[in-house]
Amino acid sequence: MKLTRREFSAGLAAGLAAPALMRSAWAQGATIKIGMCVPVTGPAAEQGLWAQNGAKLALAAVNKAGGVLGKQVELVIEDDQTTNPGIVLAFSKLAAQSDIVAFLGSIRSTQVQAMAPDVIKVGKPVMIGGTNPDLTHSGNPWLFRFRPNDNYSGRVIADFGVNTLGKKKWAIVHSTDAFGTAGGKALTEALTKMGAPPVLDQGYANQSQDFTPVVLAVKQSGADVLGTYFTFENDLGIFARQLRQLGVNIPWVGSPSVVAVSSTKLAGPALFGTYGVADFAEDSSDAAKTFSKSYRDAYKTAPDNQSAWPYDAITILSAAINKAGSTDPNKIRDAILATQKFAGAEGEYNFDKNGDGLHGYNVVKNDKGKIIYDKHIDFND
Amino acid sequence: MDLVLQLLFTGIGIGAVYALVALGFVLIFRATNVVNFAQGEFSMVAAYLMVVFSVDLGWPYWLSFLLALAGMALFGVIFNLGVYYPLRNRTYLPVIIATIGASILLSNSVLAIYGPQPQVLQGWFDTPGIQLGPVYLDSQYLLIIAVTILLVLFNFWFFEKTLLGKKLQATSQDKEMASLLGISVSTMIMITFIYSAVLGGLAGILVAPVLFVSIQMGSTIALKAFAATIIGGFGDVAGAIVGGLALGVIETFGAAYISVPYKDGFAFLVLIAFLVFRPQGIFGERVAEKA
Repeated sequence: MKLTRREFSAGLAAGLAAPALMRSAWAQGATIKIGMCVPVTGPAAEQGLWAQNGAKLALAAVNKAGGVLGKQVELVIEDDQTTNPGIVLAFSKLAAQSDIVAFLGSIRSTQVQAMAPDVIKVGKPVMIGGTNPDLTHSGNPWLFRFRPNDNYSGRVIADFGVNTLGKKKWAIVHSTDAFGTAGGKALTEALTKMGAPPVLDQGYANQSQDFTPVVLAVKQSGADVLGTYFTFENDLGIFARQLRQLGVNIPWVGSPSVVAVSSTKLAGPALFGTYGVADFAEDSSDAAKTFSKSYRDAYKTAPDNQSAWPYDAITILSAAINKAGSTDPNKIRDAILATQKFAGAEGEYNFDKNGDGLHGYNVVKNDKGKIIYDKHIDFND
Repeated sequence: MDLVLQLLFTGIGIGAVYALVALGFVLIFRATNVVNFAQGEFSMVAAYLMVVFSVDLGWPYWLSFLLALAGMALFGVIFNLGVYYPLRNRTYLPVIIATIGASILLSNSVLAIYGPQPQVLQGWFDTPGIQLGPVYLDSQYLLIIAVTILLVLFNFWFFEKTLLGKKLQATSQDKEMASLLGISVSTMIMITFIYSAVLGGLAGILVAPVLFVSIQMGSTIALKAFAATIIGGFGDVAGAIVGGLALGVIETFGAAYISVPYKDGFAFLVLIAFLVFRPQGIFGERVAEKA
């Protein structure tokens, strides 16, 4: 066969172009992409790394088990800078990539609130960890929560104090910011419903240098149990110390900050014997234990809720896409909402129509500085 | 009555902290006619130095304390040369803005090095406090009150009885006249910055066991200390002390008897009242003259 110069050139061009064409065709459908907005810089950069760790751990397990719809799953990470404008920008960058089928948003309610309008516009599922109840209760069909919302923490604190500890005279101390006010209100409502309205409802401003007036108010109220919503660990530490110094030793059940690692370190013995609610507790279930073991093996450090919720989110999202049999947003949405009795690291997921997966908290105890799991309290509504 | 005594003790204790930081404000203001908005960060930096020496490196407390204060003296030199000196011949505005910039730089540098988690620093004494009848006296607050009293006496002696103190006073009153009399103005200003940095640092180290060591510790105290200096009369040493103590007591009682959430509000209500009715403060000269 005689090759003309023209035929040779055409053949050469086709030969050169073929691998590139094949690569681009392969790339378009080879992986399923999930976008993740997470702090890589800013004050929560460290927690952001834990979140990525959790997500990547779940991703590895999903891919090892055959991936999603027969393809490997790929995580596309964008820095939200731990700020509201940052997450809006990060989300819009990710949303511009049309082959991303779903997203992981933030653990911070305020950031989720900032990105929520864009989430509606994009119309694809976004997994979140922010616990402000309003996020999933204001008509946004695309937000799915992988931590229990704050309504439940108040109910669990009340339930544990009244039914398990048998205490009915409550003093409530809460921060006057959005988190503390909502928490204090939820706790008051839950107690009132249980027939034990609080004898003291005391707010305080964040970054107070002194809590003597608050402690004296608790002392004078004659309360036999204390419920708290503290936002900052240093405020909590100062309060705890002054509480003990002024001789108040009643049982204490608080929001997650009471049992946070940093408060335990700051307040020391002043927090011994206190109870707190926690959405993630290592010993709370077999699923939590399995997650903890693989997390420790992979990263040589203890897991916490920052890494547990993205782990659950990737696991459940992948299962939902498989079940939906398609990457159509509406079908994924239906499949997530249909997820029931799923044992995750954070607890048992039973999605409701709002997109809330969890409906209860673990109660943990500070046992001489060590945080131990006590019991899990779930609600059906 | 028990309640009143307990609140009074706490109020004076926290007021003494404001007073110590306020003193740093006043000294720099007198020497340079500029408000140093990084004064709160001086306290924060010293507290972190203390954490580095005493907690991270495990050195003895007294040694860490002396090293931290020495570090603050050096810091005062650097601050003067880096922030004030290049702008000394400009109006007060660029200098004030430079101190705000320095404050942001300092808090973010510490944030980058140490992260956002607050740190624990042990107090001077092993006993956390003593129960005196119905009142609990926190040992660290007792120490803070004692140091404040000592510093008031020291300042009086230093500024009124020593030559160096008089030179510093002369410089703050009239720089041109002082330099005509052979006083080196830039040396005097350098000494003022060193002294303020050490004072601010001392306040930070003393208060750290009570409030913990955090990035925000300086700025929250400095805001109140700033109010205290205005109440006391800007530029007046005794005024800063009295203003600080008054502020501590007023906000503690206001919180206990009126409203806890508005605790910070009382401090600033008093500040506004003073600005309206007595802008020169308790002891001060007319603010118009100073500005």
